[in-house]
Amino acid sequence: MKRDDLQTLGPSLGSDPFAQGDGTLPYLIRLRERSMRIVAEPVARRPRGEPREEALEAPDLGPPVPELPSYDDRDESAGALDRLAGLTLTSEEEERLAQLMQPLGGRPYDEFGLSPRVTRRALAFFKLLYRYWFRVESSGHSVLPEKGGAILAANHGGVLPFDASMIAVDGALAAQPPRLVRTVVDRWAGTLPFVNVFYARVGQIMGSRDNVRELLRANQLVLIFPEGMAGVRKRAAERYVLQPFHLGFVEESLRHRVPIIPVAVVGADDQAPVLWDVPALAKLLGLPFFPITPTFPLFGLAGLLPYPVRYEIAYGEPFRFYDEFPPEAIEDPHAVRYMAERVRRRIQEMVDQRVLARRAKRA
Amino acid sequence: MRRVLVTHVESPVGRRVVKALFHDPEVALVVGLGTRPEPSFLLPYRGKVAYQRIDLAKSRHLQSFLHSERFARVRPDSLIHLPFAVEHSLERVPGGVPSLVSETRRLVEESVEQRCIERFVYLSSVFVYDPVPGNGNVVSEGQGLGFDGEGDALVRAWIDADLVCQGELHGSNLKMTILRAATIVTETGEYLNSPPLSHVDAPLGYDPMLAVVSDRDVARALVLALHADRPGVYNIAGREVFPRSQLGPSASRSTLSLGLAWLERLVRRAPAPGQAFDRYGLVPSARLAHEALGFEPQYRIEVRGQGAARRIDTVRCR
Repeated sequence: MKRDDLQTLGPSLGSDPFAQGDGTLPYLIRLRERSMRIVAEPVARRPRGEPREEALEAPDLGPPVPELPSYDDRDESAGALDRLAGLTLTSEEEERLAQLMQPLGGRPYDEFGLSPRVTRRALAFFKLLYRYWFRVESSGHSVLPEKGGAILAANHGGVLPFDASMIAVDGALAAQPPRLVRTVVDRWAGTLPFVNVFYARVGQIMGSRDNVRELLRANQLVLIFPEGMAGVRKRAAERYVLQPFHLGFVEESLRHRVPIIPVAVVGADDQAPVLWDVPALAKLLGLPFFPITPTFPLFGLAGLLPYPVRYEIAYGEPFRFYDEFPPEAIEDPHAVRYMAERVRRRIQEMVDQRVLARRAKRA
Repeated sequence: MRRVLVTHVESPVGRRVVKALFHDPEVALVVGLGTRPEPSFLLPYRGKVAYQRIDLAKSRHLQSFLHSERFARVRPDSLIHLPFAVEHSLERVPGGVPSLVSETRRLVEESVEQRCIERFVYLSSVFVYDPVPGNGNVVSEGQGLGFDGEGDALVRAWIDADLVCQGELHGSNLKMTILRAATIVTETGEYLNSPPLSHVDAPLGYDPMLAVVSDRDVARALVLALHADRPGVYNIAGREVFPRSQLGPSASRSTLSLGLAWLERLVRRAPAPGQAFDRYGLVPSARLAHEALGFEPQYRIEVRGQGAARRIDTVRCR
């Protein structure tokens, strides 16, 4: 199109940019005139006979404005919690943590809200629980992939999810190389104030397919408790008996061609044995379940704190169903259930072995 | 060579789009549509960019423009529609939020009827998605929309307009591309398209993650969508994600909200409109836009300092 054509489109097209219908000057002109006025302002002359003034000094504007700190700088200006974390973590553990945070590429947060700073503080605290409260013994780290993604499928127990935190600490401190374990948390936890923020800052994610897919695409380790809430609300009589599995983790494993690593956790079911679950109270209070334990609600919320039981974490040989089954198997609910059942039985075997060994040891 | 109509050209994103189209060798002519007198920033682009003052909310204005000799001369083949990329003070929009929905509907209908417009690129927002509990959740384009009748009026308008455009995704000759952008950060550190950042009250105990994207990247994505022959819905987001507390008003207040259904039921307190976005984060996955449109954010957002001393910078990636 020629410029002439443009001009015929209307008065606003191609017209004199310095002309304005309402008589006021356009902004650019006003700006130019103002700057000219400033430049052309006459300088007051020195009257005759007056002594020549000394050269003008620059006005005292105070100290220069300091550059605002970035997130990296802020990390250096550590608070009390950061100093405490520094005292708790060894230099080797700090290095491991730095390795875990490499995928963030210097960003202060990842997509799910993981914060290196909060994770460092949390690791320092949970390390103490890992070493001195639960006295965790773990084995089989060699099955954890060094780089690629994988789904860790574990049994669930205890009222509060300390089993998830112990697996995460184990991945950070005991695995070689260290791996960041991202636990899939029940959506109900996402509605809780403060809890939802804490979970996100230490790398836990809410239970949605999109979240899991994003992490698996990013080659991360995703910890799933396929029993779901049924695992934590099972009664003491059913300790270490795995509940039926949800199937989503198998589907995601097939879809993304990542292995499923069975993880057996022994100790979690003893940390707060559930004597009864009161569904009516749970419904009234809007909770997923209302446990009665030997200490809760007798001692209030403090009664939910875990007993100092020994934990054992064992990683089993990975299941690679994507090598055994064709991709269409994901559409077959029977096949998916069969695969989930195989994983469940394997974890049950691993748990049984360790529980029997414990009993034999005690005897 | 494309001839492009750009609506709401005076908005911050509209300015960026005009500049991007001006430098695009595959675009022959750009006609910006706006409700105000010709903005001065268009002056340097007059060789390629024209301006038409028009109130799209009024049907007769649009009709007279579409049937004018001017429109026949321009013969636009593409339309970039940016109804909501304005500053949040929508009181300045004549007719308010509903008029933006009706103008979108009218533009889509006229584009289908006129047949000269082949491509329609619409800028929507990720806040059309239904937020699910959690501090930060990645959402893909398949996530359901938040059909919450009690939601924020602006969000409801976004959803309505989005649905109007979705209606033309299949079954008409119009090639419709919907871009759902995360919170847009302008060069001066202002936010567009972000209900959680539009008010100072924030519920205590929640700090949702918000994805951000530079207005320049949004403009780039719009231009990419214009040229790519890939109609559909795409999320647009930058690399950075921040909690609301880092981006929100420096004088933000915390309101007590225990988040427990039983307690709220006990005090019979209905949740305030738009509260879901104040609690739960939405982080759009821009993977599809990267694969289909070739979109890659070129600017990163940096937040420095805290409180009143906070500064938000847009930095070009190396």
